[in-house]
Amino acid sequence: MMKKRFNGTGWLFASPYLFYGIIFFIIPLIWSFYLALTDWNLIAPVYEFIAFDNFIEAVQNPGVQAAFFVTFKFMAAFVPMVIVSSLVVALVVHGLPRFKGLFLIGFFLPYLASGVVSSLIVKGLLSYNSSINVVLRDSFGLDIDWLNSPLSALLVVAAIIAWKFTGYYALILTAGFEGINKEIYEAAAIDGVTASQRFFKITLPLLYPALFTTLILSIGVSFGIFTEVYQLTGGGPNYATNTWQMEIFNQAFTNLNAGYASAVAIIASVVTFVAILMIRKILEVWGKRNGWV
Amino acid sequence: MKMKKTSLFLSTSILAAALAGCSTGQGSGSEDGVTTIEFWAAPNPTQQVYWEEMAEAFEKENEDIKVEVSPMKESPTSEAGIQTAIAGKSAPTMSENINRGFAAQLAESKALVPLNEIEGFDELLQNRSMEETIKTWKFADDNQYVMPIYSNPMLFGWRIDVLKEAGVEEVPKTYSEMLEAADKLKEKFPDKYIWAKADLADPTAWKRWFDFFMLYDAASGGNNFIEGDQFVADDAAGIEVLQLMDDLREKDALLTKQATDPFESGLGVFTDIGPWTFSYWEEKFPEMVYGETFDLALPPVPDDVSTENVNTFADTKGIVVYASATEEERAAAMEFMNFVYSDPENDLTWLETTKLPPARDDLSSNEAFASFFEENPELKPYADAIPNAIPSIDNAKYNELQTHIGSMAVNPVVEGTISPEDGWEEMKRAIEGELKK
Repeated sequence: MMKKRFNGTGWLFASPYLFYGIIFFIIPLIWSFYLALTDWNLIAPVYEFIAFDNFIEAVQNPGVQAAFFVTFKFMAAFVPMVIVSSLVVALVVHGLPRFKGLFLIGFFLPYLASGVVSSLIVKGLLSYNSSINVVLRDSFGLDIDWLNSPLSALLVVAAIIAWKFTGYYALILTAGFEGINKEIYEAAAIDGVTASQRFFKITLPLLYPALFTTLILSIGVSFGIFTEVYQLTGGGPNYATNTWQMEIFNQAFTNLNAGYASAVAIIASVVTFVAILMIRKILEVWGKRNGWV
Repeated sequence: MKMKKTSLFLSTSILAAALAGCSTGQGSGSEDGVTTIEFWAAPNPTQQVYWEEMAEAFEKENEDIKVEVSPMKESPTSEAGIQTAIAGKSAPTMSENINRGFAAQLAESKALVPLNEIEGFDELLQNRSMEETIKTWKFADDNQYVMPIYSNPMLFGWRIDVLKEAGVEEVPKTYSEMLEAADKLKEKFPDKYIWAKADLADPTAWKRWFDFFMLYDAASGGNNFIEGDQFVADDAAGIEVLQLMDDLREKDALLTKQATDPFESGLGVFTDIGPWTFSYWEEKFPEMVYGETFDLALPPVPDDVSTENVNTFADTKGIVVYASATEEERAAAMEFMNFVYSDPENDLTWLETTKLPPARDDLSSNEAFASFFEENPELKPYADAIPNAIPSIDNAKYNELQTHIGSMAVNPVVEGTISPEDGWEEMKRAIEGELKK
């Protein structure tokens, strides 16, 4: 029987990350749980232990309830938008005879752009007296209140984030395209498959690992939306774009309810974890059932 | 073995560096008979330079006190920066840029020193001639937690050039005059609005200072909105303010869609204006000329309210001393404030640098400021209105309370989804519920 040996060097090399994890993840996590059980605002000298009151209040709060549903509405709008647009970009880049890298970098640049700046530009573009709206009003009689109507506000924010992430996900999908063996297409051509059959029966199934990655990443993004909402709508109108991050920010830094905000953050983490786990499982099962993985 | 030692050294160094990065680097304290106080200036270069100059001048006359000026951290907001600094035991001795509502939050958490308990505060009020102005700053517990630096009585700007074209010769002073102006404006310019302001449909708490509270303070004669934990607002005045918004909406004279520079472009002819606007206009909209394209006025009032001595909201911020400061640091902070505010020239420098009116009773009468107002006539109405300016409510829950004003009353009224009376009642119920929590 082999005797287990203590590997000091291994622990030593891992120690910087372990210390980092303990200081910046484990301790704050425990601290956050503790904070969520109190009514502390972080600055008062005295505070009370209120058990699960913050959690009970949070689940009854319209802002938190809105954050729960708004996240899934964002997901429903953002994920198809970003997957389709990144797929199109990847297909176009993949088909280019040269300068693929250059074009990919170009599409990737919005990912590096400041969310604040892009939001302010969009705000200007969609303002009542912008050229777009003047044309829409004068030529088509359309007077759209982009950021003050629940549906359009949500779609505008989803579109900005989709624009930001399209290049990033296209990079992953292009790598997926490049990894598909060209001989398969040659064989299919000999068998006389049509262009649509080739895309849906060959390309998409073989691209599934890359698509799976982008799907999971984009679903994760839906749970962390903040900057664009903060800049454009402030969570409105009437909570229509109130995300988890907005709710946590408002409670922690505007209303100074740190304990309550911690409870909301914990609820948000649990919802995010469970949702991503379930969606991942569904995608895996679906992929296996259709023979894509 | 050598490799293990190297790894140990490396990981220890990384950890030490990481922990050093967490250091607060707090600068206040007493050493060698010199008391060092840390002063956080507002996060803009203009104010930071002003306070650095003041600190330098003060240190020349007070060798036993050192004032370290640094910009307030905005992570992600200046309020959040202060909150985390207090929580992390790295709060400065004192800071500026504190509004009354945030001061109330801090005071409720015992994070501030009542300035009236520090020796030299009464002398400071006398020296700066602000005994009247400071009265409206008293908190519900009878203490003074904030030393107001500036007081911007918010005024409304009117596009007099557009109004004249529409046949309105005088700036409206009452609600009926305003509604009459709306009729004339819409008749001449169907695409223009009296009030084009997207914030009216936004529940964000601070936005109510620049619409609802300006009108409410005027309509109610400066009647308090909240006193301690009691809702004491003038119901009739509040409903009249909402009725005005509703009437403008019905006349299609209110635009709540997001528009770029609506007042400057003439899309709207009425907007709230602070003194900070003029330097921005000088650069970006030189065509905006006081007395030619726009005029400034106190808020319009209901027809049965006098148009003399009208009250308005005061956008004011001031200095606080944090409770973590030692007795020596508190005394040094008061000495520094006395040094700065005992000489009107320092307030004049402030006024010239920031264009924000110092919170003094004698701003419009003191000779020291006369030449400044001659050169900047558009700022004179602000100085004149200081005695009638009402600062924000001093309740620690001001954010929640003012959000209710927006979400329950102002927002639905301007959207036409609730009547002014019902909106007021809904808001009142929500505020009273919040105050009981």
